[in-house]
Amino acid sequence: MIAHPRPRLLAAGALSLVAVLALSACSGSTVEPDASATPVDGGTLVYASGDAEPDCLDPHVGGNYPQALLATQVLEQLVSRDAEGTIVPWLAEGWELAEDGLSMDVTLKPGVSFTDGTPLDAEAVARNIAHLQDPDTGSSTGYLALERVERVEAVSDTVARFVLSEPDSALLESLAQPWLAIQSPAGLDRGTDENCLAPIGTGPFIIDDWVKQDHISLVRNDDYASAPADADHDGPAHLEGIIWRFLPDATTRYAALEAGDVDVIDNAQPDAVARAESDGGISDIDAPRPGSVNRLELNSGQAPFDDERVRQAFLAAVDVNPGIESLFAGTAARSYSPLSSAETAAYSDEAPFAVDVERAAELLDEAGWDEVGSDGVRSRDGQRLTLRLPVSTNQSIPAEVSLFEQIQAQAAEVGFEVTIDQLDLSSWYAALGANEYELVSAPYTKLGPDVLRILYHSDGIVPAPSGYFANHAQIDDPELDDVLDRASRSQDADERSELYTAAQRTILEGSYILPLYDQQNHFLVSDDVAGVRATDTVSTVWLGDAWLVG
Amino acid sequence: MWAAATAVFVAVSLIPGDPVEAALGGPGSQASAATVEATRERLGLDRPLIVQYFSQLLRMATGQWGDSYAQRIPVAEVIGQALPATAVLAVAALLAAWAIALTLTVLAALGGRRGRLVTSAVGMVAASLPHFWLGLVLVAVFATGLGWLPAVSDGGGAGLVLPVLTLALPLGGYLAQTMLDGVADAEATAFALSARARGERRGGLLWRHTLRHAVLPAVALSSWAAGTLIGGAVVVETVFARPGLGRVLLSAVTQRDAPVIVAVVVVTAVVFIVLGFLGDAAARWVDPRGREATSR
Repeated sequence: MIAHPRPRLLAAGALSLVAVLALSACSGSTVEPDASATPVDGGTLVYASGDAEPDCLDPHVGGNYPQALLATQVLEQLVSRDAEGTIVPWLAEGWELAEDGLSMDVTLKPGVSFTDGTPLDAEAVARNIAHLQDPDTGSSTGYLALERVERVEAVSDTVARFVLSEPDSALLESLAQPWLAIQSPAGLDRGTDENCLAPIGTGPFIIDDWVKQDHISLVRNDDYASAPADADHDGPAHLEGIIWRFLPDATTRYAALEAGDVDVIDNAQPDAVARAESDGGISDIDAPRPGSVNRLELNSGQAPFDDERVRQAFLAAVDVNPGIESLFAGTAARSYSPLSSAETAAYSDEAPFAVDVERAAELLDEAGWDEVGSDGVRSRDGQRLTLRLPVSTNQSIPAEVSLFEQIQAQAAEVGFEVTIDQLDLSSWYAALGANEYELVSAPYTKLGPDVLRILYHSDGIVPAPSGYFANHAQIDDPELDDVLDRASRSQDADERSELYTAAQRTILEGSYILPLYDQQNHFLVSDDVAGVRATDTVSTVWLGDAWLVG
Repeated sequence: MWAAATAVFVAVSLIPGDPVEAALGGPGSQASAATVEATRERLGLDRPLIVQYFSQLLRMATGQWGDSYAQRIPVAEVIGQALPATAVLAVAALLAAWAIALTLTVLAALGGRRGRLVTSAVGMVAASLPHFWLGLVLVAVFATGLGWLPAVSDGGGAGLVLPVLTLALPLGGYLAQTMLDGVADAEATAFALSARARGERRGGLLWRHTLRHAVLPAVALSSWAAGTLIGGAVVVETVFARPGLGRVLLSAVTQRDAPVIVAVVVVTAVVFIVLGFLGDAAARWVDPRGREATSR
């Protein structure tokens, strides 16, 4: 899934306000809850999301992160992934791949029912996959994950057979994503408009009411009995209910948490995370999203970055470490990998990113960019060495925009002219679609290393019908394509991991990207709440084990 | 209204971005060709632009607002859910702004030269405060610092205080400046001088004579001001997480949700027109000269 829109309209001024807030904050409880205490049942937790309010709560429709956050409380998937990166049972208790890799039999947990009473059976799974693949559903993320699934057949009540067009080593990882959650067929039968308002699942909570622009109220599923293998406890949730609010402004969201009006917030900004750490009473859950890291992609499809030396010069000219350390207040670690640290397959290499300003200048001279104008900008045959960097204000938080400004200044030292253009999401995609960029930051969330195929296979240069294409670095390397294709079909875990390592090496050594840090995803939790954790699938918050401390 | 609807329709068609994407999980959707086609057809976006335009006008004229592209519910419902909250906010802010402006004006008139200087400075500073900054400062002081008021809307009266103040302070400052100018002008007229000569005190002069003059331009401005409050609502509703038209408009623009954008603009235009009439009526009530002029 493409990193989703977040309301950032007002975030820019928030940084300047930190000082004011720090001065005015004189409270700050230091009560430490006993983490080993026995869970208490009852009470309602207030969750405040900084993400845009979803238009549709059924994650099959479209498929973005705000939908996944809520769906995690209500709907469940066939499998989950644990902290070690191993796929573990959830609604499915087992699975078996055919020898030719062209089909997989999934055995369902017995005795599970949706909250409307409909039993979970193989037909229900088949119905869900068909729903995701039906153009009228309007699925984007889930649909893409099922590319190689031809159909699902019910072999028996409890065994569903996934029939594939070609082997897919990422299938289980795909099925672990909330966008492929299994819903009640009776719920789906109500039609998209109604199902969007309150999808029906098997999860620990049930959607009770949705007051648009205000909140969604969830109540406990008292019959809950299908916790994933990585959950802390079986059976119904401790909480009686959840009030799910939307607080788009980062500063007021944090103020509401501090005041005790809400118990958990997401999209916590670096300044808030740093402040929570020093003030106490609030703890941080650092849950980087899976898939890609946040990185600058260098468009190798056109001049000047079609010349590898110019790409190398850019990477040698910019030193992002001090900026990341200061702008993110120590809350984000530098990455040297194309993959998120949430992926066990991530391969890191610092060498291609060694800073050497003199070497950068030499490389540019060699590449013919040796005329330096009075403004310090290099040119070649009258062409200025300009790098356009369109920035989506929905996706890049203020700290990241500031980092780009530092990069702009550093690159100028060796003669690059970086132009930063802050755009709203639609205009930003339009700029990418029109190839009007040399640099771009476009993080991508997907479970497992197969995200590399989406982002760096030459197929990803071909635009989707919407005009979107995922390979912004525009890497067109038949050898890399072959490695990624083989990895995605591989039946052997070791071979798969070797192939993905090789692919990452090619990407890093080819100077196509400048990795920055994991996709930041911080939840701040009041010490009045215990048992909150982020999932090891797409790092959404899991409240099925949470309880309110005395 | 026709002009407003047409202008918005043209503007929405011209800005980059495809509303189909809004319905498919946001811009940059990777939905298949079949999905994009099916959605385009569902939304009626496969028809030529001119047909879309006339069908939209026709629907509006007959009171059929259509469905939101993104939210999949009737536009009337979207507006209906949001309008009351914004109306409460705007009316409360307008009343508060008037209270602030009148207080400042009275203080200035009674406080002599120095009082006038101080209050006009206060009014000027208040008038230039940006909503966004002011809102966050109020949160920092009254919610985080003093803990008197909730930082975000809680559905009750306490949650309304900070959003209303955020909108009312700059507007009140602006209205106060207008009133102070009005008082100053009125005091320089012959009738004010003769009243003073008769021995009228400052307070009496203000109450019986000059305030009426000062209030007139502010009344005329208020209908305009109420309209701008809807703009301010975009910021205030986001900062304080209040439901309302401002947030509806913001997310609709982000998603290129044309039916919703057009509806919000048309509703705003209607509010402007109604307020214009009300403003005229109020001005006539305050100013007897106008009444006589029209009755003749």
